[in-house]
Amino acid sequence: MMTLAAAAFAIPEPLMKYLVWPTIKFVIAFAIVQGIVAAMTLIERRGLAFMQARLGPNRVGPQGLFQIIADPVKLMLKEDIVPANAEKVSYFLGPILPLIPAFVVFALIPFGPPPTFTVTSVNVGVLLILALTSTGVYGIILGGWASNNKFSLMGGLRSAAQVVSYEVPFALSIIGVLMLVGSFDLVKIVRYQEANVWNVFPQIVGAFIFLVAMTAEVNRSPFDLPEAESELVAGFHTEYSGMKFAFFFLAEYAAMLVNACLIVTLFFGGWTLAMNNVGLTTKVMQSWGLGGALLGVLIFSAKVMFFMLVYVWFRGTFPRFRFDQLMDLGWKWMIPLALANIFVTGLVILLIQSPPWR
Amino acid sequence: MQVEVTKAKWTDKILLLDLFEGLKTTFRELFKPKVTIRYPEERLEPSDRFRGMFRFSFERCIACKLCAIACPIDIIYIDVHDETREVDGKKKKLKVLDRYDIDVKRCMFCSLCEEACPTKPKSIWLTTKTYELATYDRNNLYFNMQELEYWDDRPRFKGLEEGDEETPQRALPPGGVQ
Amino acid sequence: MLNLHEMEVNFGPQHPSTHGVLRVLLKVDGERIIDAKPIIGYLHRGTEKLFENMDYPQCIPHTDRMDYVAAATNNLGFVETVEKLMGITAQIPKRAQIIRVMLSELQRISSHLLWLATHAIDIGAMTPFFYCFREREQVLDLFEDYCGARLTLNCMRIGGLPDDLPAGWLEKLDEFVGKFDAAIEEYESLLTNNRIWKRRTIGVGVLSPEDAIEWGITGPPLRGSGVDWDLRKVRPYECYAELDFEVPLGSNGDTYDRYLVRMEEMRQSNRLLRQCMEKIKETPAGDIKARISRVVRPPEGEVYHSIESPKGELGYYIVSDGKSQNAYRCRVRPPSFVNLQALPEMARGHLVSDLVALIGTIDIVLGEVDR
Repeated sequence: MMTLAAAAFAIPEPLMKYLVWPTIKFVIAFAIVQGIVAAMTLIERRGLAFMQARLGPNRVGPQGLFQIIADPVKLMLKEDIVPANAEKVSYFLGPILPLIPAFVVFALIPFGPPPTFTVTSVNVGVLLILALTSTGVYGIILGGWASNNKFSLMGGLRSAAQVVSYEVPFALSIIGVLMLVGSFDLVKIVRYQEANVWNVFPQIVGAFIFLVAMTAEVNRSPFDLPEAESELVAGFHTEYSGMKFAFFFLAEYAAMLVNACLIVTLFFGGWTLAMNNVGLTTKVMQSWGLGGALLGVLIFSAKVMFFMLVYVWFRGTFPRFRFDQLMDLGWKWMIPLALANIFVTGLVILLIQSPPWR
Repeated sequence: MQVEVTKAKWTDKILLLDLFEGLKTTFRELFKPKVTIRYPEERLEPSDRFRGMFRFSFERCIACKLCAIACPIDIIYIDVHDETREVDGKKKKLKVLDRYDIDVKRCMFCSLCEEACPTKPKSIWLTTKTYELATYDRNNLYFNMQELEYWDDRPRFKGLEEGDEETPQRALPPGGVQ
Repeated sequence: MLNLHEMEVNFGPQHPSTHGVLRVLLKVDGERIIDAKPIIGYLHRGTEKLFENMDYPQCIPHTDRMDYVAAATNNLGFVETVEKLMGITAQIPKRAQIIRVMLSELQRISSHLLWLATHAIDIGAMTPFFYCFREREQVLDLFEDYCGARLTLNCMRIGGLPDDLPAGWLEKLDEFVGKFDAAIEEYESLLTNNRIWKRRTIGVGVLSPEDAIEWGITGPPLRGSGVDWDLRKVRPYECYAELDFEVPLGSNGDTYDRYLVRMEEMRQSNRLLRQCMEKIKETPAGDIKARISRVVRPPEGEVYHSIESPKGELGYYIVSDGKSQNAYRCRVRPPSFVNLQALPEMARGHLVSDLVALIGTIDIVLGEVDR
């Protein structure tokens, strides 16, 4: 098919392979992600409502389904208010900056068995994702500062401190996996898991730290300090309205989705449902052609959805941490724990590879 | 009696039992029946003593003004004139009501007027189970005698019915003193 | 010179967690509070002055509007004070007393539920809010069945009550009382043992017993500091002396202790309701009002009387000139107003996040603070 298209448009084969197809795939992935983010707003509100003995939005369309459309439309039609004393350029950049990395990252995530549903397979995928996701915080700081509002400023500062501190355990918790697999490539990590066992079992501590750190990374409850509504009104986006506010919102949900995809890929076997090469492995799926690939995407989405709902579940259950306690948890508990995890993992790998008793 | 601050065991702390306890509660709640209702379609019936919209009976009223006196915020306006009429063949001096207005927009529904009313049954009462009193113009909430007596005959807001969306819906009771 | 460390923040009056229109002028260093100054008066309605121009019975609906989440106890405080002034306290029929106790204990439950709901949502736990409102709704339904209103009850009269209990009310109450203990368990499963909740509340806003007494703090904040002072026990009114209940006491005087005290108080209120349901069966139906004239004209004199409202000591001071049907002077001692005075003391040195926890733990209602 690839060659056919290339012949029809007379595009050189390398260009086709490295530019056109990835772009098409990325656009499709982008559209799907947009859709999921929009759907998530409804699912979150509905799910939260069901945990809280109420019905949630159910007015617009059957079961409130059209709320997905109604919300963006409402936000787009809202007046875009810029505070008189705001720093105009930074105020404008604030919501846009976190959006770009949050969406670019989706180019790196393997949604299904390669080659169909993997946009790009970068051999330093994990590093690139880490680098990209951590840039999202600049927008929040900038937006919080530019609003010229004390509550926004506090929200921005909190966010900066929080993301910087949780970036460390976030990255450290992955190292155990990387040591097991021996590669930065996300596809290889998934392949390793189908050949052995989901990484969550040997790396339970790492998975736990990752879960906590990823919740903190995206400012979700119980770590939603930057936008703690009972303390800072709305935190960094207090002064934002209309589409700018929607951008912050989109970025947050896209970041949530990225992190859910990451935890699934790193610890829960990605698109596979196999152990010791038995079950729905990549090979089995590839042998089924496009149907197998779609099945892989379905499994992947189901796993991701579960973690998205876990976010909602956390939000429905836990109180909010205080700022100093958050730092406490990050630096005094998560980082030492992650380091210990790396140490123990290394020791075990070393012992298995070259047992001293032999 | 001293309240006890429970100390968690370290094993429970490591296993995060306290956090799972809460997660369990919210998860269980997912499958329980919900308590909120879909308001205009479903509605709750107020209790028999519910203090809602006023109702006035001209026949029963003896124009004693006790309700106006009892009202803490003086929103009942009564005008009365004396009239000599023939009742059962005798000439009697009667009080006749000229005006009986209630400024419902200021009312706090304490029902002291109902309690003060000496007639039996009461000639002013609030137990009409009507609570949808919102109007677009607040002057619509100033009621005179006739409106207080006959608002029940007017069309009532019964919630959105099939194909009924086009007809202008007004909160109850409509009317006013334009 | 430019001060680079301190920042002044207006916390309120429009803020999600100031429980109305409280304004706290904060001086913060980063997020640490150097000084907090509550500024009140945004909801001042001159209730005390209004009382001077109204008949005593007409004041009762106005007392609803002070602590608008605990109208029954406000009514009770006022009517008891007037009864004391008239010297008819002993004439109140037994049945009326029991119903009054039932109403005020129900009100205590509903007020504490609202406190828990808002306190939890201030600290970030969203779900207890809805669970609390679910049960509070049932309490309000009971009020609606009894007196026709849900919040502004106007459910007491000088000399007794407006009406006897409607048919089926006690059964409905019995159903609620049976379920309520389990509901408290549910709230506690989300909060009491939760490590985040504990870290947010233990050691926050510590009030020593001496400080609490010096500030004149009453109610659960005082008992949370370990001072055994409950007006229902030490100066029993109505039929509290005949009822069996315990006063929960904290030991550290921090937010967590105050939380535990209030949770236990709800259980004790439930216990009181059970006892009242037994007691009321012995009293004749319809005997709910003392035989007094319709016109309330107390003799010349002055009186102070206080009851234990859900938020603390609610006192009324009434001066009567003996001639008119309205008070010469009425002064209300609202518990929230007095308890709020300790806020700067409690907040100093804590973080902004703790301030919302502290406002929640004092349990203020601005209608009562400003009157």
